[in-house]
Amino acid sequence: MHERLSFYVKRESLLHQLNPLTKLTLIFGLLLPAFLIPFYWAPHLLLVLVVFPLAILGKVQREYFTATARLILPVAGFLFVMQALFLPGGRTILAKVWFLTLTQESLMLAFANAMRIMVMVSSFTLFMLSTHPSELMSDLTHRGLPGQFAYVIIATLQIIPQMQAKANTVIAAQRSRGLDTESSFIGRIRALVPLVGPLVFGSLVEVEERAIAIEARGFTSRRPKTSLHEINDRPLDKGIRWFLLIVMLASLLSRIWFS
Amino acid sequence: MNIRIENLSFRYPNGVLALSGVSLEITPGEQVAIIGQNGAGKTTLVKHLNGLLLPTEGRVLIGDWDTRQFSVAKLARRVGYVFQNPDEQLFTKTVADEIGFGPRNLGYPNERIQTLVEDALQLTQLQGMRSMNPYDLSPTWRKMVAVASILAMDTPILVFDEPTTGQDAASVERLATIIAEMKRRGKTVLTITHDIDFCAENFQRVIVMGGGKVLLDGSAREVFGQEEVLAQTYVDPPQITRLGLRLGLAEVVCTPQEFLDVFERHCTA
Amino acid sequence: MPIVKLRQVTYHYPLTPTPALQDIDLDIEEGEFVAIIGPNGAGKSTLCYTLAGFIPHFYKGELHGTVEVDGDNAQHSNLSDWVMKVGLVFQNPFNQISGAKYTVFEEVAFGLENLGVPRAEIIRRVEEVLERIGIADLADRSPYSLSGGQQQRVALASILVMQPKVLVLDEPTSQMDPIGTREVFGAIRKMAEQGITVVMAEHKVEWIAQFADRVIALWEGKILLEGTPHQVLTDERLCEKGFGVSRYTTTARLAIPRSLWKKERPLPVTLEEAVAGFSDSLQTHRQEGRA
Repeated sequence: MHERLSFYVKRESLLHQLNPLTKLTLIFGLLLPAFLIPFYWAPHLLLVLVVFPLAILGKVQREYFTATARLILPVAGFLFVMQALFLPGGRTILAKVWFLTLTQESLMLAFANAMRIMVMVSSFTLFMLSTHPSELMSDLTHRGLPGQFAYVIIATLQIIPQMQAKANTVIAAQRSRGLDTESSFIGRIRALVPLVGPLVFGSLVEVEERAIAIEARGFTSRRPKTSLHEINDRPLDKGIRWFLLIVMLASLLSRIWFS
Repeated sequence: MNIRIENLSFRYPNGVLALSGVSLEITPGEQVAIIGQNGAGKTTLVKHLNGLLLPTEGRVLIGDWDTRQFSVAKLARRVGYVFQNPDEQLFTKTVADEIGFGPRNLGYPNERIQTLVEDALQLTQLQGMRSMNPYDLSPTWRKMVAVASILAMDTPILVFDEPTTGQDAASVERLATIIAEMKRRGKTVLTITHDIDFCAENFQRVIVMGGGKVLLDGSAREVFGQEEVLAQTYVDPPQITRLGLRLGLAEVVCTPQEFLDVFERHCTA
Repeated sequence: MPIVKLRQVTYHYPLTPTPALQDIDLDIEEGEFVAIIGPNGAGKSTLCYTLAGFIPHFYKGELHGTVEVDGDNAQHSNLSDWVMKVGLVFQNPFNQISGAKYTVFEEVAFGLENLGVPRAEIIRRVEEVLERIGIADLADRSPYSLSGGQQQRVALASILVMQPKVLVLDEPTSQMDPIGTREVFGAIRKMAEQGITVVMAEHKVEWIAQFADRVIALWEGKILLEGTPHQVLTDERLCEKGFGVSRYTTTARLAIPRSLWKKERPLPVTLEEAVAGFSDSLQTHRQEGRA
């Protein structure tokens, strides 16, 4: 069976010790500056001087860099190439192949945008690596988020690996009925319905059962919930959140005033 | 159609050795049950029969086809595999459509598909439900739809993965009848099952697996008489066999009829 | 005073003309172990969900009659309050994992967190229930890394820790392998011995005969038979209607016309009873043979 159905990695680190809401705020505390500050090198600096050290601080550098290599870089890289070749408005032409024009301006802009994407996805990744879904859920519920809402967030995080496992079985079952998944492009498109159908319907059945299971554990009870683990919200956390709020505000203002 | 498994070993990508040097031959028309505790390699073994898994070492021959040289879709002409969870394959709007999916994929002419679908509906007693949406049926009947959709592919070899799990007595009865009919038609049937009584009453040959190897392979009677080996694999003998053993009968028995015949002789001995 | 009282309970699933349950009258005393048998579709699960309050609160549809547990009426209560009275464990162990917790200990504590139990008491109760069910060694494991039998016992612990008055089990071992089945029934047996009121829907006749105080046979939504395991499980009507019958019973029945089982002797349901009965016949035959 699956050992881990979430991205969370259990470590003793400064990042892990932070309150979940603080880490959630951190995502936006990184995102907004990366996208708003009008200084060209802002996203690059944020990535190297803030994100990377945070990964090390959280002792999740190995998982982070693996995820970067596998997921983040390919996506950012693809966007970079697309933007470099297709962004209009450049004047200093560096290369020209057929109808594709590479200009210095588009190259620089694409680079910055790719960095922005990387900062954004990295901040989410760091969050998921260092925050256990149940702690996040408990904390948000304590602060007044309706339980059902919190559950949807958690269930969504769990759903990806679960769906993948299920998808593999569905593919195997339909191939065993003669469904050709290796032939033509059209063939593969046609194969989508017999693959997606059972995935969705089968999942619906499971979702209903799980809803009953958590209901049977009092999930929708109106009583104030307690929690097994103490979730810290130290003065440090509050301080960090205020600091991040100021950073976000400053980013916004810098955009308005300097661009 | 013959099945030949030659020195099959299989290692999962994560390093686990699930099968170790398994060699078997199954002749056309045999009814074989594969038993053993979870993790013994049963499902891993049968997934090699239709090419879902390919050997790390050794080879698997379905008739004259080496499974490494044919796609799963191609092998589906010779091996029909009924998965354990019907919800992992049902997707059409009607039962009849669902059953026709397999034969259509195999490219059979329309007339033949019609006949096969009718036949499958009859065997599984689904005729009255042919126009219903499979998801409107109870899980027990959804299982029958899954079985019917493989029967309709008219393959010489059939593989059932835990067909009786969660089924009631009437449904198990239906499955037993289907297997008997497949035997009559000369098809080879392989079943993975935890239901030892079902196994004893419907299968002549029993293969016991443990730790990726074949531990026992013989007639039901031969296999179920071997108490020590069975105990090691946490397999309980069938109820009737246990009764016979407790009463000290000279022969190993597997069904009520056998028991009574042997017991009678025992009484008058 | 029975702890469970059902009077004239009739239920239709939404948009379904045929009732899933019809005129069910049932009393269950505190501490009783009641088994429910029947073919698939007879209403076993429906009855389980009705006792647990999911019918009508989760499944809607039309419920008539009264469902009372410990003096309270199910229809007039909130489902979130009802689940504290009646616990429910069902077939698929994987779907009962909440998905919100990282270890078995946390998973079992989940229900108590939802009910607002103070932390110290949560820890005490979880430790106690894990010991009782025999899964204390799994406390730090991820629920997803466990076998089916282990997961089902975790589900059982998660419900028992909430200390319901009645425990309802809907075919808890139907998806288990033989080891898992043994583990789960072992845990249930311990519960039963400690006096918890248990209602269990099951196909495995031999186990029922060993545990149950009473057996209810459902057929097409109605109670067909009711009585001790022996009375019900050896009744001829079960064969006609396609219920699962113990092979020991079947064999003995076939043995009677061949004088291999004494007519006066009650039909066996378990191995022990069958051995005793056939040994008896053997003795008699041997004696007659010598005579």
